Parts: sequence; C-alpha cells; structure tokens
Amino acid sequence: MLSYEPGATVAHRLDPRSKIGFQIGFAVAAFTVSTLAGLAGVYAVGLGCLLAARLSPVRALRAYWFVLVFLGFGPLFGGLTLGPPWFRVDGALTSLRGVARIVPLLFVSAAFVHSTPVRDTRAAIQHTVPGKLGQLLGIGVALTFRFVPVVRTDVGRIREAISARGGDERTLRDRASRIARLSLVRSLQRAGRLSVALRARCLAYNPTLPALSLSGLDYLVFALSIGLVLVSVLV
Amino acid sequence: MIETSELVYRHGDTAALDGISLTIEDGEWLLLAGPNGSGKTTLVRHFNALLDPDEGTVLVDGQEAAANPVRARTTVGMVFQTPRDQFVAATVGADVAFGPENLGLAREDIDRRVAEALSAVNMDGRGDERVDSLSGGEQARVAIAGALAMEPSHLVLDEPFTGLDWPARQSVLSHLDDLHAAGTSIIVVTHDVRDLLSRADRVVGLREGGVAVDAPPEQAREQLSTLDVRVPEC
Amino acid sequence: MSERHESVELVPDTTVVYVAVSVLLAALTAVLAQLSLPVPGIPVPFSLQPFGVFFAGLLLGPVWGGFTLLLYIVTGLAGAPVFSGGGAGVAYFLGPTGGFLVGFLLAAVVIGAVVHRGIEPRSLTAVSTVTQALALAVGIVVVYAVGVPWFAVVSDISLTAAATAMAPFFPPDVLKAVLTLGAVAGGVEAFDQVR
Repeated sequence: MLSYEPGATVAHRLDPRSKIGFQIGFAVAAFTVSTLAGLAGVYAVGLGCLLAARLSPVRALRAYWFVLVFLGFGPLFGGLTLGPPWFRVDGALTSLRGVARIVPLLFVSAAFVHSTPVRDTRAAIQHTVPGKLGQLLGIGVALTFRFVPVVRTDVGRIREAISARGGDERTLRDRASRIARLSLVRSLQRAGRLSVALRARCLAYNPTLPALSLSGLDYLVFALSIGLVLVSVLV
Repeated sequence: MIETSELVYRHGDTAALDGISLTIEDGEWLLLAGPNGSGKTTLVRHFNALLDPDEGTVLVDGQEAAANPVRARTTVGMVFQTPRDQFVAATVGADVAFGPENLGLAREDIDRRVAEALSAVNMDGRGDERVDSLSGGEQARVAIAGALAMEPSHLVLDEPFTGLDWPARQSVLSHLDDLHAAGTSIIVVTHDVRDLLSRADRVVGLREGGVAVDAPPEQAREQLSTLDVRVPEC
Repeated sequence: MSERHESVELVPDTTVVYVAVSVLLAALTAVLAQLSLPVPGIPVPFSLQPFGVFFAGLLLGPVWGGFTLLLYIVTGLAGAPVFSGGGAGVAYFLGPTGGFLVGFLLAAVVIGAVVHRGIEPRSLTAVSTVTQALALAVGIVVVYAVGVPWFAVVSDISLTAAATAMAPFFPPDVLKAVLTLGAVAGGVEAFDQVR
C-alpha cells in the first residue's frame, strides 16, 4: 500500500500547494495531449516526478492495481462488438491511446502521496480555500484521516463478533446488512463523543494555522505547472 | 472557582440534575462519586459550558459559564472516558496542540504549551508518535495533556480509569497528584472510589440528581456505601 | 485573562455535531469501500462501499451528506488510503472510476434533498420508507449517470461499451440500497441521541 513516508527528497521539500498546483497542470496536459511525441513528453515528466520522490515506477503501478484493472476494461470493452467480428482492433486501439494518458497520472499521483503528509494538504486547504468552508474542510480531512483506523478496528470487531457466533453461515444479505447497521450505530456513537470533545477544546473557525512557506523551488514548480498547461493548450 | 446554584437540568420530563448547589475552590482535590445515572457526567459538563442549565446558574471564576464558553473551557479542562474518541489528530503533538491552536495563540506559545503539557504527564519528546500506537495508559496521559495545554485551573476527569490496568492507573494517579501539588484543582468523576479516597480533600456523592454526600473522605466513607458506590474495605 | 480569548470564533454547537457525524460517516465510507464479503461460488466480491454514501444522504441531508462525501474524496486526494483497493491520490479521481466518486457525492446530495427537502436534516422517523426508497433509487441513477460517461470518456470508448462494462455492478448496488433501508433504521435512534 502506498502512503506518505518521511524523506528528504526534492518532492518532500516542496510546499503542498505547489505540488497540488502541479498535479492540476499535469492533469490538463495529460488529458489534452494528442500526439505521440506529446505522450512521450508526458511520460518523461511523470517519471521525473517519481525520480524527484525517489519512488520506483513498479511500486507506483502496484499501488494503483485497482485503477489499472479498470484501465484494462477500456480496450477490452472498446473492442467488443455485438455481432461478428465480435472484437474490433481499431476500437481497442483507440481506447488504448486514451488509457495510456492515465498511466503517467498514476506516477505523479503516487509521487505526491509518497512525499506529502495528510497534514500538509490539510494546511494547504486551510490556507487556500476561503472562509468557514476551508476551515471545516481542513479540520474535517484531518479528523477523517485520524478516524479511519478507529472505524476499521470497530468494523473488524463487529465481523469477529458475527463470526464467533456462527454468523458466517448466514446469507450474504443478512451479513451485509448486519455489518452495515452495527458499524453505523458504532460510528454515530463515536461521533457523539467526538463532538463533545471538539467543543470542550474550543473548535474554532479562526485557529492558528499550520505554518507553510514557499521557497524558490516552489515558484519554479508553479512556473512549470503553468508551462505544462500552456504547452498542451497551444501545441 | 466553580459555583453552581440551584442547578436544574432536564432530560425530557425527568430532572437529571435537581437543584444542585456546590462550590469548588481552586486547588481542591474533589472526588465526585455516585452510581451510574446519578447525574455526575451531566453535572461536570455544565462546568465548561458543554451543557446549559435549564434553571439555576453555573459560575466559573465569578462569570456565567454559558455566557462565555471559551473562558469556561480554558478555565476548566475536561478529560473524557475514552481517549480514542477525543484524539483529534493522528500524532501526539498535533493532538495536544489542537486546543491552543483554536485559541489562536502564536506558534511559539503553542509549541511551549505542548512541550509543558507532555512533560507534565511524562511524555516528553514523544510528540511525533501515533496516538493509535500508544498503550491505554499512555493514551490516557496524552488525553490529560490535551486538556492541560489549555492551561486550566481546574481539571475534570470523567471515569479516567476505565480499561486501565493497575500500573497505568497508578501512573495516571501520580501525575494527578503532581498537578494538584502544582496548584491545579482535580475533580475526578467515578463510580469506583478505590485508592482515590485517601487522595481526595473532599468527596461529593450524587444520588438521583441531588447531592447526597458532601464531606471529607473519612466521614464520607460510610455514607458512600449507601449510594451503591464501591468503597475499599480498609 | 478572558480578554485574551475574545477573538476566538467558536464553531456553533450544532455545526460541531454535524461535522463530527460527517467525519465518522466519511471514515465509515472509507472502511466499507475496502471491505468485501466473500460470496461462495462467485468470483466477484460483494463490496460494502455504497452503504456509507446512502447513510450520509439519508441521515445528514443534502448539505452535510454532501460534505461527508467531500471529506471522503478530499481525504483520499490528500493521500490517505481510503479508496477501493486501498488507494489514494488524484489518479483515482481522474482515472476511469473517478466518476463514481463524483457520483457518490452528488448522490448523497440528491438523496438528502429528496428525504429532507431542506438544508437542516430532520429525523428519519418522520420520513416514510417509500420516500427513502425513492431517494435511494434516484441516488443510484445519479451514481451511474456520472460514473458511466466518465468511464467512457477516460477510456475513450462508446457509452454502450462503458455501460456494458459497468452493468455487473448495478444489481448488487440495488440490493445494497434495499438492505440500507433496514440498516439505517438502527442508526436513526443513535443519530437522534447525538444531536
């Protein structure tokens, strides 16, 4: 599984805002690229991002196996026809070209995830998204990140409790709705306790924000992002 | 100082608190005992304006708590039963910093408060550890640090020993003693007063939303047993 | 001492409650997205992903239900492994299945709007099962109405081909909606206690 790992690479040193900006610029470029040379350029930049984060392409691809499975669906279903010849290579090839644009996005995305702690993105949100929405979104992301493992333990215990009393013999519908109902109740109870704790600690719309600062390198990345957009739109 | 006067709080038609008048001085070590459902938690949640009284008043340092919740919540720190549900960040330091950040303090003040609070519970230098990787006793101590970072003059702990083994319980207790010695008032809410009676200055026992016992520990011992509160043998 | 904190702008109590419930339902959506029950004899696992989406819309209404899914998506974009298959990052969002993420968000909003007919969520005990079922039906349509064309565009295939690829996922999702109607009833009491 791919997640943030501390490090001192170029990617780690960048401000989260410049990395998010770069992902947007890169996505625009990847989706508008139409020539083979352009596609090669997008791959080169994507691999460059992996290099900047010291992450191997194999690891990046393995982390996105789920996306890759559905990427594989494209050429498969793009080639299928309802009658003879049942499979048309040109349809599959068209889709393959479309799908090929997504792979370098996986690289850039993996580099970001590998080099950026969630708290950095949270800070970027609170610094960038204006008003109360930005504050609630920032704190909400931090809290969601914190509570996923807690809920995972809860759901695991619920499944164990069901298995321990022979529940695995029951129908799929029975098990699914039982797990859903119990985990919902458990989560809502936790939400009640969390809301009291948040109030006791003065949850505010105007807290001291985590510090962020842009360096020269960040401005370079911003320029690169804008450059990517310009090149892909103009060429 | 916390003063409640004729405090009434209703759940629907039943009075969870039925006219409670109580004064808690700065620096007191108070044990708030009573069976489940006697109104202990409901009472202390008025101290820092988590609940508003239906009747009567709650004064914190002379000012109505509900009128100035920020003041009440920085004067009265609250530690809840299950640490895992009150952690708001994935790491120890970020969690302890949460309260001071909400107060809008400067970053260096926040860092100082976090360091001091962690030091008070013997968790120095462990700010980068994940809260989920800590033992139950460590989690309880970090929860206390989270409240201490607000620099409260009163610390309320609601059933703080649930799920803690004996050494962890003793460790938390010794930190509470240190905080008390440094001048913080300690208010422990519990239905189980083992090894707490000897520490407290004063014991308040609740029954059905009213004060049934208010005495020094030695005198309270006998009265508490009538409240279905477990009292140590000796 | 009190003057010091006069500038603190507390989040109102009811908002704190909705934020906390949104957080827990976003976390629940994440956990259920990665949980599949093995079905004997069938190779395709039965994922519990849509339950979180349905719960959020039904219980929290359009605004907070939508906020829940926004939290889920942004937490994943930020790098927390919350998407199906334990993934994270913008590649999920822009990839072939990203439309389903957007569809989930819109579905929560639509389900909430049909059930609550206003911004402030009301108690589900006041909403008939027929209305809830209707809301979930519309919600599923929204999920696929966004998810399938998105898949077609990203993969550069026809809408028919995309719909064919996604068709096997549709009947189980309908079954999950039916199960949701029973499961959510257990949460209504817990939710009304939290508020």
